[in-house]
Amino acid sequence: MLFKKKDKQNEIENKEAPQSYWAYVKRQFRKNKRALYSLYIILFLAVIAIFADFISNDKPLVCKYEGNTYFPVFREYGVKTGIMKWNEKLVNAEWYDLDYDWAVWTPIPYKNTTIDYKNAPFIGPFEKQDIKSARWRHLLGTNKLGNDVMACMIHGTRIAFLVGIVSMGIAFIIGIFFGAVAGFFGDDQLKLSRARVILNILAFPLAVFYFGVFFNSSIWLAVIAFIAVFILANLLGKVLEFVPFIKEKMNVPIDLVITRFIEIVVSVPVLILVLSVVAVFPPSIFLVMGVIGLVRWTGIARFIRAELLRVRSLEYVEAAYALGYPRWRILLKHAIPNALAPVFIAVAFGIAAAILIESFLSFLGFGIPIELNTWGQLLTQSRQAPEAWWLAIFPGFAIFITVTLFNLIGEGLTDAIDPRLKQ
Amino acid sequence: MLGVYAPGDPVINLMTVTSGGENMDDKKAGEDAYIKMWKKLNMDLPVFYFSISSQAECDTLYKIHRKAHRETLGALTTEFGNWNEIDKYYKGLQTFEDKVLGFVPDSASTKTWGRLRDNIGNLYNKKEPKSIENTLSKLDGYVNKINDTLNVLAPALVKLQGQYNDILSNKSTWKKYVPSFNWYGFKNRYHNWITRFAQFDFGISYQDRKPIAKKIGDNIFWTMLISIISIILTYIFAVPLGVFSAIKKGTTADSLTTTFLFILYSLPNFWIATLLIIFLCNPEYLDWFPAFGIGTAEAEGKSMLASLGIRIHHLILPLFCWTYGSLAFLSRQMRGGMLGILRQDYIRTARAKGLPENKVIWKHAFRNSLLPVITIFANIFPLMISGSVIIEVIFTIPGMGRMLVDAMVAQDFPVVFTIVMMVAVLTMIGYLIADILYAFVDPRITYNSKK
Repeated sequence: MLFKKKDKQNEIENKEAPQSYWAYVKRQFRKNKRALYSLYIILFLAVIAIFADFISNDKPLVCKYEGNTYFPVFREYGVKTGIMKWNEKLVNAEWYDLDYDWAVWTPIPYKNTTIDYKNAPFIGPFEKQDIKSARWRHLLGTNKLGNDVMACMIHGTRIAFLVGIVSMGIAFIIGIFFGAVAGFFGDDQLKLSRARVILNILAFPLAVFYFGVFFNSSIWLAVIAFIAVFILANLLGKVLEFVPFIKEKMNVPIDLVITRFIEIVVSVPVLILVLSVVAVFPPSIFLVMGVIGLVRWTGIARFIRAELLRVRSLEYVEAAYALGYPRWRILLKHAIPNALAPVFIAVAFGIAAAILIESFLSFLGFGIPIELNTWGQLLTQSRQAPEAWWLAIFPGFAIFITVTLFNLIGEGLTDAIDPRLKQ
Repeated sequence: MLGVYAPGDPVINLMTVTSGGENMDDKKAGEDAYIKMWKKLNMDLPVFYFSISSQAECDTLYKIHRKAHRETLGALTTEFGNWNEIDKYYKGLQTFEDKVLGFVPDSASTKTWGRLRDNIGNLYNKKEPKSIENTLSKLDGYVNKINDTLNVLAPALVKLQGQYNDILSNKSTWKKYVPSFNWYGFKNRYHNWITRFAQFDFGISYQDRKPIAKKIGDNIFWTMLISIISIILTYIFAVPLGVFSAIKKGTTADSLTTTFLFILYSLPNFWIATLLIIFLCNPEYLDWFPAFGIGTAEAEGKSMLASLGIRIHHLILPLFCWTYGSLAFLSRQMRGGMLGILRQDYIRTARAKGLPENKVIWKHAFRNSLLPVITIFANIFPLMISGSVIIEVIFTIPGMGRMLVDAMVAQDFPVVFTIVMMVAVLTMIGYLIADILYAFVDPRITYNSKK
């Protein structure tokens, strides 16, 4: 009963005051036309990235073959996730050569991995192409092996977005955690019993150990084990707080520790680190994303720390304290949501940087599996064949546009959140 | 840290003598050479001051010199968790191998003996129980076929099989989950490496066996030259440009420069470099600049001035690609800083007291807006090396960046780690310089007292 009432009260309050912080930021952002259109274009590119398989594929979307109707593109998803199986006739089908009753192909009837021997090497978009009809034209030409450049561009969008968003997702989690702890507790607010301080310090090597033990079987298990060790250490600490000496509270200057840590991470030269890690381990996008995420969280942590240092002394936080809410609840439900907006500045710029790093690595030929034909890899191929101008212009332009748009969004957010800078 | 995970066996990379000859003596000699090199590289020492491993693992595994053997034994311990038995099995395998190698087969069984020997070699790399069992039974077959009058081989093999069965019967998988802490002290590889690094002894490159310090000495010149020119150019152009667009804020000139700088800032330099090479250094389009190198061959034997001209001709494009990004970045920062300063009260005061606008800007505003620009200096410094990577690769300039990439492609890890470490040190130096400059420019900042 009590809770319901409170919810209703919240609702009423919200209705009366639509002037929430987020609404304000949104309004400010909308005023910046350049940033707004950038956002729209990015959303459009994101749609391309998500539906890349439906826009460019080496299988038909729908086809009728020997009297049965198939949906090969959808089925491929099912096969990949292990729910479905290919029809026996189609297991090793040469999709281009099947004798269909009718077939609806994707707008670009090639994939980034499809090799068209007849149109290789380096057939330009306006040159004569060896194709059945105009429908099968390679709109942006082909590369050395005969991959369709347009298809590579579309699937490259997906890889670029994946790297940008996943790596920033990792960075977001790490950054929010460290930044929030540093900013909310500051140097004087975190008081822990001696037992818990010692146990947490001891837990760190132990957590690393269990991370290592489980790493070979599954990375998720390793992460869970890592966190679980800390949780167990703190539970044990809570239990030990009945013992007289070690239950004494001591002040932990957590802000100092974390800011020093951030300074160390910032001083790591990202490109060189990513390059050396990627050179040692076998190529994988996930490794690239992980490394970028592990290095690029500092901006996010700094933003949220600065914001929380301001927010934690505001009235509503004090009010929450006065109401007797536990601290984690104030942090999670009141402080962080109101400090999150500036973080998206760092995220927008971070995605731009991550995409740039990914194309940089592809360009050099490190880290990204070579058969993916990402934007950077296409660009690199153009160096072998200077006459293939389409390999130099289109992928480079795609990198440039995506990076610029994310930067513009970041700028727009900066202006929207910090009106002081605007005028 | 990364050194441990680096693929390939460093000892083999550096060895000139190939190991594993036909007879016992060759093998022994190869093995000795291997051990000698292994000791010379300090590989017989632990990696770090301490290690955290599981109870199952052996804390002195590093003393086994073959990397493949270490990997097999490591895999077996994670599988079964009983180091004692595995160690016995390993030793048994070695004695069996010695016995087989020492055995002189008669002419009828030479072939079988050869197969037997090869299969023992394979056994060192077998990690899965199934394949070990397979190989063991194969060995059994070969031993039975060999005409063994003194009866040395069969008992040794039986013993080996017994040792293997011990591993299976005394499984202790639980030990894998119990941590143990080992302290090794200062006699470890990291300690050796870092102390040598501090003395500028970087080790030997795998590729050409030259000392890394010499290689870096050969390569650093061009990187340094281009970076220094580029830094100077950046500051010369960026600072006035930033100030200019800040003063003219709101005018068309300002919005044009701002947009232009923003585009410049977002243009990936490897794209621009590729485009420039394709369209300006190519007989098919415009053949204005040389695409590759620094003109060493062309400049040879020419007069000072002529060779300087050739060098400059070669360096224009790389310099441009190297500079424009940081230039745009810096002038944007400068503009932002200047705008912030121009809003301050003391600028209004300066204007109010009738100072000429020139003096207001250059004497009052400009000096104060230099502060952020100085901090960026710290970032530019290490960026120069990582930025050099792509430009040097594209324009094939023999500098540090290209050396790094070449070393990575060739898996020449001592070179890679040295350069990474150097960049890290340079970064710290950059920060230190920035801090000192900061205090120098802004008298309010001191580092010797708290608050």
